[in-house]
Amino acid sequence: MSDRSELISTGEPFAFDAERDAEFERLIVRYPIRESMIMPALWMAQEQQGWISAEAIEYIAERIGTYPAKVFELATFYTMYHLKPVGQNHICVCRTLSCWLRDKQAIVDYLAKEIGVRPGQVSEDGRFSLEEVECLGHCGTAPVVQVNGEFHEEMDLEKFKALLATLD
Amino acid sequence: MAEMVKLFVNGQEVEVESGKNLIDALKVVGIEIPHFCYHPALGADGNCRMCLVGIEDGRPPLVPACKTPAQEGMKVQLDAEHIKKIQRDVLEFELINHPVDCPVCDQAGECALQDYYMSYSLDDSRMRVEQVTKGKKIDFGSGVVHDQERCVLCGRCVRFTRQITHTGELGIVNRTDAARVSIFPGKPLNNRYALNIVDICPVGAMTSSDFRFKQRVWFLQKDPGICHGCSKGCSIYIDHHREKYKDDVIYRFRARTNLKVNGYFICDFGRLSYAAENENRQTTATADGSAIGFDEAIELVRERLDRARKPLMLVSPDLSLEQMWAVKRIATLYGADLSGYSDSYVIDGDGDDYLINDDKAANRKGLELLDIDSSKEQFISTLQYTDLLVNFNNDLFYSGVDEELKAQLDKTQSIAVCSHQLPVFESATIALPTASYSEYGGTIVNEDYVLQRFDKALFKNEDPRDVLEITRLLGGAIIDAPHAWPGIRQSVADLADIDPETIPAEGLNLQNSEDTNVGA
Repeated sequence: MSDRSELISTGEPFAFDAERDAEFERLIVRYPIRESMIMPALWMAQEQQGWISAEAIEYIAERIGTYPAKVFELATFYTMYHLKPVGQNHICVCRTLSCWLRDKQAIVDYLAKEIGVRPGQVSEDGRFSLEEVECLGHCGTAPVVQVNGEFHEEMDLEKFKALLATLD
Repeated sequence: MAEMVKLFVNGQEVEVESGKNLIDALKVVGIEIPHFCYHPALGADGNCRMCLVGIEDGRPPLVPACKTPAQEGMKVQLDAEHIKKIQRDVLEFELINHPVDCPVCDQAGECALQDYYMSYSLDDSRMRVEQVTKGKKIDFGSGVVHDQERCVLCGRCVRFTRQITHTGELGIVNRTDAARVSIFPGKPLNNRYALNIVDICPVGAMTSSDFRFKQRVWFLQKDPGICHGCSKGCSIYIDHHREKYKDDVIYRFRARTNLKVNGYFICDFGRLSYAAENENRQTTATADGSAIGFDEAIELVRERLDRARKPLMLVSPDLSLEQMWAVKRIATLYGADLSGYSDSYVIDGDGDDYLINDDKAANRKGLELLDIDSSKEQFISTLQYTDLLVNFNNDLFYSGVDEELKAQLDKTQSIAVCSHQLPVFESATIALPTASYSEYGGTIVNEDYVLQRFDKALFKNEDPRDVLEITRLLGGAIIDAPHAWPGIRQSVADLADIDPETIPAEGLNLQNSEDTNVGA
């Protein structure tokens, strides 16, 4: 996993739009401990903005009534939260034990060499972004690659190349 | 007294307090269980796994001692092979990416990782891959400098900002080997207790920008003392050192655990007040602006006092009980008025509900107990007609120069018995250097009526004379601090039964109430 603690600031204040504002109010009552709402709120910010900015983290902390550092912790812990704009196709390669042993590195190296994108980066043309993530929970069918949220299991380099060809 | 229980450590019977966790309970009887994340003020977190011990009663083979209360008959294993192995293994994990830069690390000598490695591991590194590198000397604000590579991620600092100061500036970001302690971008540490983080960090990850690279800790002599920064009277360690051919100077103050007064922490203002003990000191006696010998100056003061029709003696609210008493006695001797006027030591609204008080005087309750008038009316009216003011180290301008009072002081002939060169003493015709609180011993009473004793910590090359000795040289009968007590006991009902020799280390509550304000 790469260091995700460099947040990007948009310079603009963040706020939920009307729809998400209502959604927030609908959900928050479900949580006896308001801080439990941090993760759903991060999802909502990501849906709205496409990624999560420093301002969005501060906004969520303020809205929930907790420390920005606490929201910061969660947002950087989970790789499903994008802390910068992602490419048209967001590729997650699992780097935990089973996938590592079953040669996830071949896929990562291929992306670096052929597409020019390393973990935590977006390709120059904006088509691909890559993140090495912790266990995706499909260790039995390692290595696992997730493209735009969809799982592709028992990958190898040939299968992965074929998969890439189908992407926009 | 808490209930005591008998348990066995490595087969040997020990008696400890029940209810405490094993780390704290066994520490009292001198048995160390290594740990990083547990701190008595912050509770058990259980994340570091360093305190794993075996309990022979059918539990899982390893349990964290920080979360295991001491119980009657418990059989604790600390020296079994599998316990020693887990300790070595945890240390190996901690050291995988640790820079091992002890030679340039300020924590060396008081570092848990270093000590535990020497006691429990001594294994060579087996790592042949490149180390993970992280941020160095990151300015966290409030004088705290962070080294992410030295960090063992115990989370004490993070918990401190959430549980103690409730400011929550810190968090552990990322996960796995990329995890590190960080502030939220643009929101540095911003609380008045931040430097405690440097104390509680078990390794060299948190250092104080004030103390960094100033002195190796094994050279420091660590003497207990009482902070004189405000009327809380927090227990501190005075860490000082006399370098060869140089003078004894203080390098830092640290919190000393005292559950009766300050708990485990002190404020940053008090912590950094050590600097004033080293700087801007009055070191020689002066008369009319030129240096004279100390004995000569004493003679001059005696003459002036003998000649004065109506002298006024002003005591500092920071003086010890014994010193105040001694001044009170010589005031009687010379027929002088006595005042403890010190309103300038009170900064309204500066205090909080934790360890910082508005009143910056360390021993104001002492003035009250000894029945020394501190009212403005008495001082100002006496000042009108006095022909000689003797100021015993009272900084009347603590919170800024009072022009009206200054004009009045300029008109009055005055003598300053002062530890520091301060604007308030500028109008004095004779100045006598005196010891400051790290250079004498005595007793003081804090705002909550806790009586505490402290001993002389520093021995200067030219040891400044304590106020008490100066009163003796001026004809007073009190030779030293213990010698003041028969008189104090006789005249102050609240102190009638006090023997300063028997005041416990954490102090004595004069109001007999239960513990006053245990911070954490």
